[in-house]
Amino acid sequence: MELLAKIFAMAIAAIFVQNFVLMRFLGLCPYIGVSKKIDSALGMGMAVIFVMTMASTFTWLIQTYLLVPLKIEFLQTIAFILTIASLVQLVEMIIQKTAPALYKALGVFLPLITTNCAVLGVAILNINEEYTFIFAILNGLFAGLGFTLVLILMAGIRERLERAELPRTMRGMPIAMIVAGCMALAFLGFSGLKF
Amino acid sequence: MKYYLRLGFVLLVITVVASGILAYINGFTEPIIKENQRKAKEEARMEVLPEAASFDSISFLNEEVVYAGKNNEGQLAGYTFVASLYGYSSDVKTMIGVTPDFKVNKIKIIEQTETPGLGANCTKPEFQSQFEGKNETVMLVDKDGGEIVSITGATITTRTIANSIRIGLKFLKEIEVQSEPEEIHREEVTE
Amino acid sequence: MSVIKEFTKGIVKENPVFVMALGLCPVLAVSSSVENAIGMGAAATFVLVFSNIFISLIKGFIPSKIRIPSYIVVIASFVTIVDMVMEAYVPALHKNLGLFIPLIVVNCIILGRAEAFAGKNNLIRSIFDGIGMGLGFTLALIVIASIREVLGAGQFLGFNVLPVTFKPMLVAILAPGAFLVMGLLMGLMNLKKK
Repeated sequence: MELLAKIFAMAIAAIFVQNFVLMRFLGLCPYIGVSKKIDSALGMGMAVIFVMTMASTFTWLIQTYLLVPLKIEFLQTIAFILTIASLVQLVEMIIQKTAPALYKALGVFLPLITTNCAVLGVAILNINEEYTFIFAILNGLFAGLGFTLVLILMAGIRERLERAELPRTMRGMPIAMIVAGCMALAFLGFSGLKF
Repeated sequence: MKYYLRLGFVLLVITVVASGILAYINGFTEPIIKENQRKAKEEARMEVLPEAASFDSISFLNEEVVYAGKNNEGQLAGYTFVASLYGYSSDVKTMIGVTPDFKVNKIKIIEQTETPGLGANCTKPEFQSQFEGKNETVMLVDKDGGEIVSITGATITTRTIANSIRIGLKFLKEIEVQSEPEEIHREEVTE
Repeated sequence: MSVIKEFTKGIVKENPVFVMALGLCPVLAVSSSVENAIGMGAAATFVLVFSNIFISLIKGFIPSKIRIPSYIVVIASFVTIVDMVMEAYVPALHKNLGLFIPLIVVNCIILGRAEAFAGKNNLIRSIFDGIGMGLGFTLALIVIASIREVLGAGQFLGFNVLPVTFKPMLVAILAPGAFLVMGLLMGLMNLKKK
Protein backbone atom coordinates (compact mmCIF):
# COMPACT_ATOMS: atom_id res chain seq x y z
CA MET A 1 0.00 0.00 0.00
CA GLU A 2 2.75 2.37 0.93
CA LEU A 3 4.49 1.50 -2.32
CA LEU A 4 1.36 2.39 -4.27
CA ALA A 5 1.12 5.72 -2.47
CA LYS A 6 4.77 6.40 -3.29
CA ILE A 7 4.20 5.59 -6.94
CA PHE A 8 1.13 7.83 -7.01
CA ALA A 9 3.05 10.72 -5.44
CA MET A 10 5.83 10.23 -7.98
CA ALA A 11 3.33 10.27 -10.87
CA ILE A 12 1.77 13.53 -9.68
CA ALA A 13 5.19 15.09 -9.19
CA ALA A 14 6.56 14.05 -12.58
CA ILE A 15 3.44 14.84 -14.61
CA PHE A 16 2.20 18.04 -12.94
CA VAL A 17 4.33 19.56 -10.18
CA GLN A 18 7.72 19.17 -11.85
CA ASN A 19 6.47 18.93 -15.41
CA PHE A 20 9.45 18.35 -17.65
CA VAL A 21 8.56 20.95 -20.23
CA LEU A 22 6.91 23.74 -18.28
CA MET A 23 8.77 23.57 -14.97
CA ARG A 24 12.11 21.98 -15.77
CA PHE A 25 12.50 23.37 -19.31
CA LEU A 26 13.41 20.02 -20.83
CA GLY A 27 12.36 18.97 -24.31
CA LEU A 28 11.42 22.44 -25.52
CA CYS A 29 12.54 21.94 -29.11
CA PRO A 30 9.93 19.26 -29.92
CA TYR A 31 7.41 21.06 -27.68
CA ILE A 32 7.58 24.12 -29.91
CA GLY A 33 8.51 22.32 -33.13
CA VAL A 34 6.06 19.40 -33.25
CA SER A 35 3.00 21.00 -31.68
CA LYS A 36 1.27 22.40 -34.74
CA LYS A 37 -1.10 19.46 -35.19
CA ILE A 38 -2.69 17.16 -32.63
CA ASP A 39 -1.95 14.04 -34.72
CA SER A 40 1.77 14.61 -34.94
CA ALA A 41 1.87 15.72 -31.29
CA LEU A 42 0.32 12.41 -30.31
CA GLY A 43 2.81 10.48 -32.43
CA MET A 44 5.76 12.36 -30.99
CA GLY A 45 4.39 11.94 -27.48
CA MET A 46 4.08 8.17 -27.82
CA ALA A 47 7.58 7.88 -29.24
CA VAL A 48 8.98 9.98 -26.38
CA ILE A 49 7.18 7.98 -23.69
CA PHE A 50 8.57 4.79 -25.17
CA VAL A 51 12.14 6.02 -25.53
CA MET A 52 12.20 7.74 -22.12
CA THR A 53 11.08 4.56 -20.37
CA MET A 54 13.62 2.45 -22.26
CA ALA A 55 16.37 5.01 -21.74
CA SER A 56 15.67 5.16 -17.99
CA THR A 57 15.93 1.38 -17.82
CA PHE A 58 19.18 0.99 -19.72
CA THR A 59 21.02 4.01 -18.41
CA TRP A 60 20.23 2.95 -14.83
CA LEU A 61 21.64 -0.52 -15.52
CA ILE A 62 24.74 0.93 -17.19
CA GLN A 63 25.35 3.36 -14.33
CA THR A 64 24.87 0.74 -11.60
CA TYR A 65 26.57 -2.29 -13.15
CA LEU A 66 29.19 -0.69 -15.35
CA LEU A 67 30.16 2.86 -14.47
CA VAL A 68 30.04 2.61 -10.67
CA PRO A 69 31.87 -0.75 -10.25
CA LEU A 70 34.57 0.35 -12.67
CA LYS A 71 34.76 3.78 -11.00
CA ILE A 72 34.37 5.59 -14.33
CA GLU A 73 31.38 7.76 -13.42
CA PHE A 74 33.04 10.64 -15.26
CA LEU A 75 32.16 8.89 -18.52
CA GLN A 76 28.46 9.18 -17.63
CA THR A 77 27.59 11.81 -20.23
CA ILE A 78 29.27 9.95 -23.11
CA ALA A 79 27.89 6.57 -22.04
CA PHE A 80 24.35 7.85 -21.64
CA ILE A 81 24.15 9.77 -24.89
CA LEU A 82 25.58 6.84 -26.84
CA THR A 83 23.11 4.49 -25.13
CA ILE A 84 20.22 6.74 -26.05
CA ALA A 85 21.40 7.19 -29.63
CA SER A 86 21.81 3.46 -30.19
CA LEU A 87 18.56 2.74 -28.40
CA VAL A 88 16.67 5.09 -30.68
CA GLN A 89 18.33 3.50 -33.69
CA LEU A 90 17.47 0.00 -32.45
CA VAL A 91 13.88 0.89 -31.69
CA GLU A 92 13.58 2.38 -35.15
CA MET A 93 14.83 -0.81 -36.81
CA ILE A 94 12.68 -3.11 -34.69
CA ILE A 95 9.50 -1.13 -35.25
CA GLN A 96 10.21 -0.86 -38.94
CA LYS A 97 10.49 -4.67 -39.23
CA THR A 98 7.73 -5.76 -36.87
CA ALA A 99 5.09 -3.06 -36.99
CA PRO A 100 5.13 -1.13 -40.25
CA ALA A 101 1.92 0.71 -39.34
CA LEU A 102 3.41 1.97 -36.10
CA TYR A 103 6.60 2.86 -37.93
CA LYS A 104 4.64 4.95 -40.36
CA ALA A 105 3.12 6.87 -37.45
CA LEU A 106 6.26 7.28 -35.31
CA GLY A 107 9.08 6.89 -37.82
CA VAL A 108 9.72 10.53 -38.58
CA PHE A 109 9.89 11.45 -34.90
CA LEU A 110 12.35 8.81 -33.76
CA PRO A 111 15.59 10.38 -35.07
CA LEU A 112 14.57 13.69 -33.49
CA ILE A 113 14.41 12.09 -30.07
CA THR A 114 18.17 11.53 -29.74
CA THR A 115 18.66 15.26 -29.33
CA ASN A 116 15.59 15.69 -27.12
CA CYS A 117 17.13 16.84 -23.87
CA ALA A 118 14.22 15.42 -21.88
CA VAL A 119 15.53 11.90 -22.56
CA LEU A 120 19.10 12.52 -21.43
CA GLY A 121 17.66 14.74 -18.69
CA VAL A 122 15.52 12.02 -17.17
CA ALA A 123 18.41 9.55 -17.34
CA ILE A 124 20.71 11.88 -15.40
CA LEU A 125 17.97 12.92 -12.95
CA ASN A 126 17.28 9.27 -12.09
CA ILE A 127 20.90 8.88 -11.07
CA ASN A 128 21.11 12.23 -9.23
CA GLU A 129 17.94 11.47 -7.25
CA GLU A 130 19.28 8.00 -6.40
CA TYR A 131 16.11 6.22 -7.48
CA THR A 132 15.89 2.44 -7.27
CA PHE A 133 15.60 0.47 -10.51
CA ILE A 134 11.79 0.24 -10.53
CA PHE A 135 11.36 3.90 -9.61
CA ALA A 136 13.82 4.98 -12.28
CA ILE A 137 11.76 3.18 -14.93
CA LEU A 138 8.53 4.62 -13.54
CA ASN A 139 10.03 8.11 -13.44
CA GLY A 140 10.92 7.78 -17.12
CA LEU A 141 7.39 6.68 -17.91
CA PHE A 142 5.68 9.43 -15.89
CA ALA A 143 7.99 12.15 -17.18
CA GLY A 144 7.17 11.01 -20.71
CA LEU A 145 3.47 11.13 -19.90
CA GLY A 146 3.83 14.66 -18.54
CA PHE A 147 5.66 15.67 -21.71
CA THR A 148 2.94 14.16 -23.92
CA LEU A 149 0.18 15.81 -21.91
CA VAL A 150 1.48 19.35 -22.38
CA LEU A 151 2.48 18.63 -25.98
CA ILE A 152 -1.09 17.62 -26.86
CA LEU A 153 -2.59 20.52 -24.93
CA MET A 154 -0.28 22.86 -26.78
CA ALA A 155 -1.18 21.34 -30.15
CA GLY A 156 -4.88 21.79 -29.38
CA ILE A 157 -4.35 25.45 -28.61
CA ARG A 158 -2.16 26.05 -31.64
CA GLU A 159 -4.67 24.48 -34.03
CA ARG A 160 -7.07 27.17 -32.87
CA LEU A 161 -4.43 29.89 -32.97
CA GLU A 162 -3.94 29.23 -36.68
CA ARG A 163 -7.36 30.75 -37.23
CA ALA A 164 -7.01 33.57 -34.70
CA GLU A 165 -6.36 37.10 -35.86
CA LEU A 166 -2.97 37.94 -34.48
CA PRO A 167 -0.67 40.89 -35.04
CA ARG A 168 1.67 39.76 -37.79
CA THR A 169 4.79 40.04 -35.66
CA MET A 170 3.45 37.69 -33.02
CA ARG A 171 2.47 34.86 -35.37
CA GLY A 172 4.22 31.52 -35.12
CA MET A 173 6.99 31.18 -32.55
CA PRO A 174 6.37 34.29 -30.44
CA ILE A 175 2.74 33.47 -29.71
CA ALA A 176 3.65 29.82 -29.07
CA MET A 177 6.02 31.06 -26.37
CA ILE A 178 3.37 33.29 -24.81
CA VAL A 179 0.92 30.37 -24.78
CA ALA A 180 3.57 28.20 -23.16
CA GLY A 181 4.04 30.94 -20.57
CA CYS A 182 0.33 30.93 -19.77
CA MET A 183 0.39 27.14 -19.46
CA ALA A 184 3.38 27.36 -17.16
CA LEU A 185 1.45 29.89 -15.04
CA ALA A 186 -1.37 27.38 -14.74
CA PHE A 187 1.03 24.57 -13.87
CA LEU A 188 2.62 26.79 -11.22
CA GLY A 189 -0.61 26.21 -9.33
CA PHE A 190 0.39 22.58 -8.84
CA SER A 191 3.65 23.37 -7.08
CA GLY A 192 3.72 22.63 -3.39
CA LEU A 193 1.26 19.80 -3.90
CA LYS A 194 2.22 17.02 -1.52
CA PHE A 195 0.82 13.65 -0.50
CA MET B 1 31.53 -6.72 -43.85
CA LYS B 2 35.04 -5.30 -43.92
CA TYR B 3 33.56 -1.84 -44.34
CA TYR B 4 31.44 -2.22 -41.21
CA LEU B 5 34.41 -3.49 -39.23
CA ARG B 6 36.26 -0.35 -40.25
CA LEU B 7 33.35 1.81 -39.13
CA GLY B 8 33.29 0.10 -35.76
CA PHE B 9 37.06 0.45 -35.46
CA VAL B 10 37.05 4.18 -36.18
CA LEU B 11 34.29 4.75 -33.66
CA LEU B 12 36.15 2.65 -31.11
CA VAL B 13 39.35 4.63 -31.59
CA ILE B 14 37.51 7.92 -31.11
CA THR B 15 35.81 6.70 -27.95
CA VAL B 16 38.99 5.23 -26.47
CA VAL B 17 40.96 8.42 -27.12
CA ALA B 18 38.14 10.51 -25.62
CA SER B 19 37.94 8.28 -22.53
CA GLY B 20 41.69 8.45 -22.07
CA ILE B 21 41.69 12.25 -22.14
CA LEU B 22 38.74 12.40 -19.75
CA ALA B 23 40.36 9.94 -17.35
CA TYR B 24 43.49 12.10 -17.32
CA ILE B 25 41.56 15.31 -16.57
CA ASN B 26 39.37 13.54 -14.03
CA GLY B 27 42.57 12.48 -12.28
CA PHE B 28 43.34 16.00 -11.19
CA THR B 29 39.88 17.55 -10.92
CA GLU B 30 38.43 14.82 -8.71
CA PRO B 31 40.67 15.46 -5.68
CA ILE B 32 39.95 19.20 -5.97
CA ILE B 33 36.18 18.55 -6.05
CA LYS B 34 36.37 16.25 -3.01
CA GLU B 35 38.53 18.75 -1.16
CA ASN B 36 36.07 21.57 -2.00
CA GLN B 37 33.13 19.59 -0.65
CA ARG B 38 35.00 18.69 2.54
CA LYS B 39 36.11 22.28 3.02
CA ALA B 40 32.61 23.68 2.43
CA LYS B 41 31.21 21.42 5.16
CA GLU B 42 34.06 22.20 7.51
CA GLU B 43 33.60 25.94 6.99
CA ALA B 44 29.86 25.63 7.62
CA ARG B 45 30.61 23.76 10.87
CA MET B 46 33.08 26.41 12.01
CA GLU B 47 30.57 29.12 11.16
CA VAL B 48 27.69 27.71 13.18
CA LEU B 49 29.89 26.76 16.14
CA PRO B 50 32.83 29.17 16.21
CA GLU B 51 33.68 28.34 19.84
CA ALA B 52 34.78 24.85 18.90
CA ALA B 53 38.40 24.15 18.02
CA SER B 54 38.04 20.46 17.16
CA PHE B 55 35.19 18.20 16.16
CA ASP B 56 34.58 14.53 17.02
CA SER B 57 31.95 12.49 15.22
CA ILE B 58 29.38 11.04 17.62
CA SER B 59 26.50 9.80 15.49
CA PHE B 60 24.69 9.97 12.16
CA LEU B 61 21.57 11.93 11.20
CA ASN B 62 20.19 12.30 7.64
CA GLU B 63 23.24 10.38 6.40
CA GLU B 64 25.46 13.16 7.73
CA VAL B 65 27.85 13.02 10.66
CA VAL B 66 26.77 14.59 13.94
CA TYR B 67 29.75 16.25 15.57
CA ALA B 68 30.54 17.22 19.14
CA GLY B 69 32.73 20.30 19.16
CA LYS B 70 35.40 20.86 21.81
CA ASN B 71 37.03 24.19 22.64
CA ASN B 72 40.75 24.76 23.21
CA GLU B 73 40.56 23.56 26.82
CA GLY B 74 39.01 20.28 25.68
CA GLN B 75 35.59 21.12 27.11
CA LEU B 76 32.37 20.48 25.24
CA ALA B 77 31.56 23.60 23.17
CA GLY B 78 28.46 22.23 21.51
CA TYR B 79 27.26 20.07 18.64
CA THR B 80 26.70 20.39 14.92
CA PHE B 81 24.34 18.40 12.73
CA VAL B 82 22.68 18.70 9.32
CA ALA B 83 18.89 19.05 9.38
CA SER B 84 17.10 17.98 6.23
CA LEU B 85 13.45 17.79 5.19
CA TYR B 86 11.51 18.20 1.96
CA GLY B 87 10.22 21.78 1.71
CA TYR B 88 8.08 23.37 -0.98
CA SER B 89 9.92 22.10 -4.02
CA SER B 90 13.22 20.69 -2.79
CA ASP B 91 15.14 19.20 0.11
CA VAL B 92 16.19 22.00 2.43
CA LYS B 93 19.46 21.20 4.19
CA THR B 94 20.60 23.28 7.12
CA MET B 95 23.80 23.12 9.15
CA ILE B 96 22.95 23.69 12.82
CA GLY B 97 25.29 24.62 15.65
CA VAL B 98 23.94 23.68 19.08
CA THR B 99 25.13 24.90 22.50
CA PRO B 100 25.83 22.29 25.24
CA ASP B 101 22.40 23.09 26.80
CA PHE B 102 20.69 22.14 23.51
CA LYS B 103 19.84 25.61 22.28
CA VAL B 104 20.48 26.66 18.71
CA ASN B 105 23.71 28.59 18.45
CA LYS B 106 23.57 29.49 14.76
CA ILE B 107 22.14 28.01 11.59
CA LYS B 108 23.25 28.10 7.96
CA ILE B 109 21.14 26.92 5.04
CA ILE B 110 23.54 24.85 2.94
CA GLU B 111 21.27 23.47 0.24
CA GLN B 112 17.89 24.53 -1.16
CA THR B 113 16.17 25.25 -4.45
CA GLU B 114 12.93 26.73 -3.17
CA THR B 115 10.94 29.29 -5.16
CA PRO B 116 13.14 32.31 -5.93
CA GLY B 117 11.91 35.45 -4.20
CA LEU B 118 9.75 33.52 -1.72
CA GLY B 119 11.07 30.34 -0.11
CA ALA B 120 14.58 31.03 -1.33
CA ASN B 121 14.63 34.06 0.99
CA CYS B 122 15.42 31.57 3.76
CA THR B 123 19.10 32.05 2.93
CA LYS B 124 18.98 35.68 4.08
CA PRO B 125 20.84 36.39 7.34
CA GLU B 126 17.84 38.26 8.85
CA PHE B 127 15.84 35.08 8.64
CA GLN B 128 18.54 32.74 9.87
CA SER B 129 19.50 34.86 12.87
CA GLN B 130 16.05 34.50 14.49
CA PHE B 131 16.79 30.85 15.27
CA GLU B 132 19.68 31.75 17.58
CA GLY B 133 19.17 30.93 21.25
CA LYS B 134 15.94 29.01 20.72
CA ASN B 135 15.40 25.53 22.11
CA GLU B 136 13.36 22.55 21.00
CA THR B 137 10.05 23.62 22.64
CA VAL B 138 9.71 26.93 20.78
CA MET B 139 11.12 25.60 17.49
CA LEU B 140 7.77 25.92 15.71
CA VAL B 141 6.40 28.39 13.19
CA ASP B 142 4.34 31.20 14.80
CA LYS B 143 1.23 29.80 13.16
CA ASP B 144 1.84 26.46 14.93
CA GLY B 145 2.32 28.21 18.28
CA GLY B 146 6.10 28.58 18.24
CA GLU B 147 8.49 31.52 18.05
CA ILE B 148 9.76 31.28 14.49
CA VAL B 149 8.47 34.12 12.32
CA SER B 150 7.75 32.75 8.87
CA ILE B 151 8.87 34.34 5.61
CA THR B 152 5.99 36.17 3.92
CA GLY B 153 4.35 33.83 1.45
CA ALA B 154 6.58 30.90 2.33
CA THR B 155 5.19 29.32 5.46
CA ILE B 156 5.89 25.83 4.12
CA THR B 157 9.59 26.51 3.70
CA THR B 158 9.83 28.08 7.14
CA ARG B 159 7.90 25.23 8.74
CA THR B 160 10.17 22.71 7.01
CA ILE B 161 13.27 24.34 8.43
CA ALA B 162 11.82 24.69 11.94
CA ASN B 163 10.57 21.11 11.95
CA SER B 164 13.82 19.67 10.63
CA ILE B 165 15.74 21.50 13.36
CA ARG B 166 13.31 20.36 16.06
CA ILE B 167 13.65 16.74 14.97
CA GLY B 168 17.43 17.09 15.02
CA LEU B 169 17.49 18.71 18.47
CA LYS B 170 15.29 15.93 19.85
CA PHE B 171 17.55 13.30 18.34
CA LEU B 172 20.63 15.00 19.75
CA LYS B 173 19.13 15.20 23.23
CA GLU B 174 18.23 11.53 23.16
CA ILE B 175 21.68 10.29 22.22
CA GLU B 176 23.50 12.71 24.50
CA VAL B 177 21.37 12.26 27.63
CA GLN B 178 21.71 8.53 27.28
CA SER B 179 25.46 8.53 26.86
CA GLU B 180 26.22 11.14 29.50
CA PRO B 181 25.84 9.05 32.67
CA GLU B 182 28.01 6.42 31.08
CA GLU B 183 30.74 8.96 30.47
CA ILE B 184 30.63 10.18 34.05
CA HIS B 185 30.81 6.61 35.21
CA ARG B 186 33.80 5.90 33.00
CA GLU B 187 35.60 8.95 34.32
CA GLU B 188 35.04 7.85 37.89
CA VAL B 189 36.57 4.48 37.19
CA THR B 190 39.66 5.88 35.53
CA GLU B 191 40.26 8.34 38.30
CA MET C 1 37.10 39.32 -45.04
CA SER C 2 34.92 36.25 -45.22
CA VAL C 3 36.37 35.09 -41.90
CA ILE C 4 35.00 38.19 -40.23
CA LYS C 5 31.64 37.42 -41.76
CA GLU C 6 31.70 33.91 -40.26
CA PHE C 7 32.32 35.58 -36.95
CA THR C 8 29.64 38.27 -37.03
CA LYS C 9 26.81 36.27 -38.60
CA GLY C 10 26.30 34.27 -35.42
CA ILE C 11 25.85 37.38 -33.32
CA VAL C 12 23.06 39.10 -35.25
CA LYS C 13 21.96 37.76 -38.62
CA GLU C 14 21.92 34.08 -37.73
CA ASN C 15 21.63 34.43 -33.98
CA PRO C 16 21.13 30.85 -32.81
CA VAL C 17 18.55 31.75 -30.18
CA PHE C 18 16.44 34.61 -31.51
CA VAL C 19 16.58 33.86 -35.22
CA MET C 20 17.03 30.11 -35.44
CA ALA C 21 15.30 29.25 -32.12
CA LEU C 22 17.89 26.59 -31.28
CA GLY C 23 18.97 25.49 -27.84
CA LEU C 24 15.94 26.92 -26.10
CA CYS C 25 16.06 24.62 -23.07
CA PRO C 26 19.18 26.05 -21.42
CA VAL C 27 18.24 29.58 -22.53
CA LEU C 28 14.96 29.49 -20.66
CA ALA C 29 16.19 27.40 -17.76
CA VAL C 30 19.27 29.31 -16.64
CA SER C 31 18.25 32.86 -17.55
CA SER C 32 16.77 33.67 -14.14
CA SER C 33 19.98 35.50 -13.23
CA VAL C 34 22.65 37.21 -15.30
CA GLU C 35 25.42 35.38 -13.46
CA ASN C 36 24.04 31.98 -14.46
CA ALA C 37 23.52 33.24 -18.00
CA ILE C 38 27.19 34.24 -18.34
CA GLY C 39 28.32 30.92 -16.87
CA MET C 40 26.16 28.92 -19.22
CA GLY C 41 27.17 31.03 -22.21
CA ALA C 42 30.86 30.56 -21.43
CA ALA C 43 30.49 26.80 -20.98
CA ALA C 44 28.57 26.39 -24.23
CA THR C 45 30.98 28.64 -26.15
CA PHE C 46 33.94 26.59 -24.93
CA VAL C 47 32.31 23.36 -26.08
CA LEU C 48 31.22 24.92 -29.37
CA VAL C 49 34.66 26.27 -30.27
CA PHE C 50 36.61 23.16 -29.31
CA SER C 51 34.22 20.69 -30.89
CA ASN C 52 34.26 22.81 -34.05
CA ILE C 53 38.07 22.73 -34.04
CA PHE C 54 38.26 18.98 -33.53
CA ILE C 55 35.54 18.07 -35.96
CA SER C 56 37.05 20.30 -38.60
CA LEU C 57 40.41 18.56 -38.06
CA ILE C 58 39.21 14.96 -38.07
CA LYS C 59 36.43 15.28 -40.64
CA GLY C 60 38.59 13.67 -43.35
CA PHE C 61 39.11 10.47 -41.38
CA ILE C 62 35.51 9.78 -40.46
CA PRO C 63 33.34 7.72 -42.81
CA SER C 64 30.10 9.60 -43.38
CA LYS C 65 28.02 6.71 -42.02
CA ILE C 66 29.27 7.15 -38.48
CA ARG C 67 29.59 10.91 -38.72
CA ILE C 68 26.88 11.76 -36.18
CA PRO C 69 27.92 9.28 -33.45
CA SER C 70 31.55 10.42 -33.79
CA TYR C 71 30.52 14.06 -33.47
CA ILE C 72 28.45 13.20 -30.41
CA VAL C 73 31.43 11.51 -28.74
CA VAL C 74 33.66 14.53 -29.44
CA ILE C 75 31.02 16.94 -28.11
CA ALA C 76 30.27 14.79 -25.07
CA SER C 77 33.98 14.69 -24.20
CA PHE C 78 34.27 18.46 -24.19
CA VAL C 79 31.07 18.76 -22.19
CA THR C 80 32.45 16.36 -19.60
CA ILE C 81 35.68 18.37 -19.43
CA VAL C 82 33.70 21.58 -18.83
CA ASP C 83 31.58 19.78 -16.25
CA MET C 84 34.59 18.52 -14.28
CA VAL C 85 36.59 21.74 -14.48
CA MET C 86 33.59 23.86 -13.40
CA GLU C 87 32.84 21.57 -10.47
CA ALA C 88 36.45 21.85 -9.35
CA TYR C 89 36.96 25.59 -9.73
CA VAL C 90 33.53 27.28 -9.61
CA PRO C 91 31.43 24.86 -7.51
CA ALA C 92 28.70 27.41 -6.71
CA LEU C 93 28.03 28.20 -10.37
CA HIS C 94 28.22 24.49 -11.21
CA LYS C 95 25.54 23.79 -8.64
CA ASN C 96 23.27 26.55 -10.00
CA LEU C 97 23.50 25.31 -13.58
CA GLY C 98 23.21 21.69 -12.40
CA LEU C 99 21.63 19.40 -14.95
CA PHE C 100 22.04 21.87 -17.80
CA ILE C 101 25.81 21.41 -18.03
CA PRO C 102 25.69 17.74 -19.12
CA LEU C 103 22.70 18.64 -21.27
CA ILE C 104 24.93 20.89 -23.43
CA VAL C 105 25.59 17.60 -25.27
CA VAL C 106 22.11 17.61 -26.75
CA ASN C 107 22.04 21.35 -27.38
CA CYS C 108 21.01 21.52 -31.01
CA ILE C 109 23.29 24.52 -31.63
CA ILE C 110 26.44 22.50 -31.08
CA LEU C 111 25.58 19.40 -33.07
CA GLY C 112 23.96 21.67 -35.65
CA ARG C 113 27.15 23.70 -36.14
CA ALA C 114 29.26 20.54 -36.22
CA GLU C 115 27.07 19.02 -38.90
CA ALA C 116 26.29 22.13 -40.93
CA PHE C 117 29.58 24.01 -40.65
CA ALA C 118 32.63 22.38 -39.06
CA GLY C 119 32.12 19.12 -40.98
CA LYS C 120 32.39 21.05 -44.26
CA ASN C 121 34.72 23.98 -43.61
CA ASN C 122 38.39 24.48 -42.79
CA LEU C 123 39.88 25.01 -39.37
CA ILE C 124 40.11 28.82 -39.28
CA ARG C 125 36.57 29.36 -40.51
CA SER C 126 35.26 26.77 -38.08
CA ILE C 127 36.95 28.47 -35.15
CA PHE C 128 35.44 31.83 -36.03
CA ASP C 129 32.06 30.27 -36.64
CA GLY C 130 32.25 28.64 -33.19
CA ILE C 131 33.24 31.86 -31.44
CA GLY C 132 30.56 33.86 -33.26
CA MET C 133 27.79 31.41 -32.56
CA GLY C 134 28.91 31.03 -28.95
CA LEU C 135 28.92 34.79 -28.46
CA GLY C 136 25.50 35.09 -30.09
CA PHE C 137 24.16 32.44 -27.75
CA THR C 138 25.74 34.12 -24.72
CA LEU C 139 24.45 37.56 -25.70
CA ALA C 140 20.91 36.25 -26.15
CA LEU C 141 21.13 34.60 -22.73
CA ILE C 142 22.38 37.80 -21.13
CA VAL C 143 19.62 39.90 -22.74
CA ILE C 144 16.87 37.58 -21.47
CA ALA C 145 18.48 37.16 -18.07
CA SER C 146 18.88 40.93 -17.62
CA ILE C 147 15.20 41.53 -18.28
CA ARG C 148 14.15 38.71 -15.98
CA GLU C 149 16.52 39.56 -13.15
CA VAL C 150 15.74 43.29 -13.17
CA LEU C 151 11.98 42.79 -13.34
CA GLY C 152 11.79 39.74 -11.12
CA ALA C 153 14.29 40.55 -8.41
CA GLY C 154 15.07 44.25 -8.93
CA GLN C 155 18.72 43.26 -9.29
CA PHE C 156 21.43 43.08 -11.91
CA LEU C 157 24.29 40.65 -11.32
CA GLY C 158 23.13 40.48 -7.71
CA PHE C 159 23.24 44.25 -7.08
CA ASN C 160 20.06 46.19 -6.39
CA VAL C 161 19.43 48.51 -9.31
CA LEU C 162 15.85 49.58 -8.72
CA PRO C 163 14.54 51.77 -5.89
CA VAL C 164 13.39 49.90 -2.79
CA THR C 165 9.82 51.03 -3.41
CA PHE C 166 9.74 48.88 -6.56
CA LYS C 167 8.05 45.61 -5.79
CA PRO C 168 9.71 42.88 -7.90
CA MET C 169 7.45 41.01 -10.31
CA LEU C 170 8.27 37.59 -9.01
CA VAL C 171 6.73 35.84 -11.98
CA ALA C 172 9.57 37.06 -14.20
CA ILE C 173 12.13 34.82 -12.50
CA LEU C 174 9.75 31.89 -12.21
CA ALA C 175 9.19 29.43 -15.05
CA PRO C 176 6.29 31.28 -16.80
CA GLY C 177 8.33 34.50 -16.95
CA ALA C 178 10.94 32.73 -19.05
CA PHE C 179 8.41 31.83 -21.73
CA LEU C 180 6.69 35.23 -21.67
CA VAL C 181 9.90 37.25 -21.95
CA MET C 182 11.18 34.96 -24.70
CA GLY C 183 7.91 35.26 -26.64
CA LEU C 184 7.87 39.03 -26.43
CA LEU C 185 11.53 39.29 -27.47
CA MET C 186 10.94 37.03 -30.47
CA GLY C 187 7.99 39.20 -31.48
CA LEU C 188 10.19 42.25 -31.17
CA MET C 189 12.81 40.65 -33.45
CA ASN C 190 10.08 39.94 -36.03
CA LEU C 191 8.98 43.56 -35.87
CA LYS C 192 12.52 44.72 -36.60
CA LYS C 193 12.89 42.35 -39.53
CA LYS C 194 9.87 43.74 -41.33
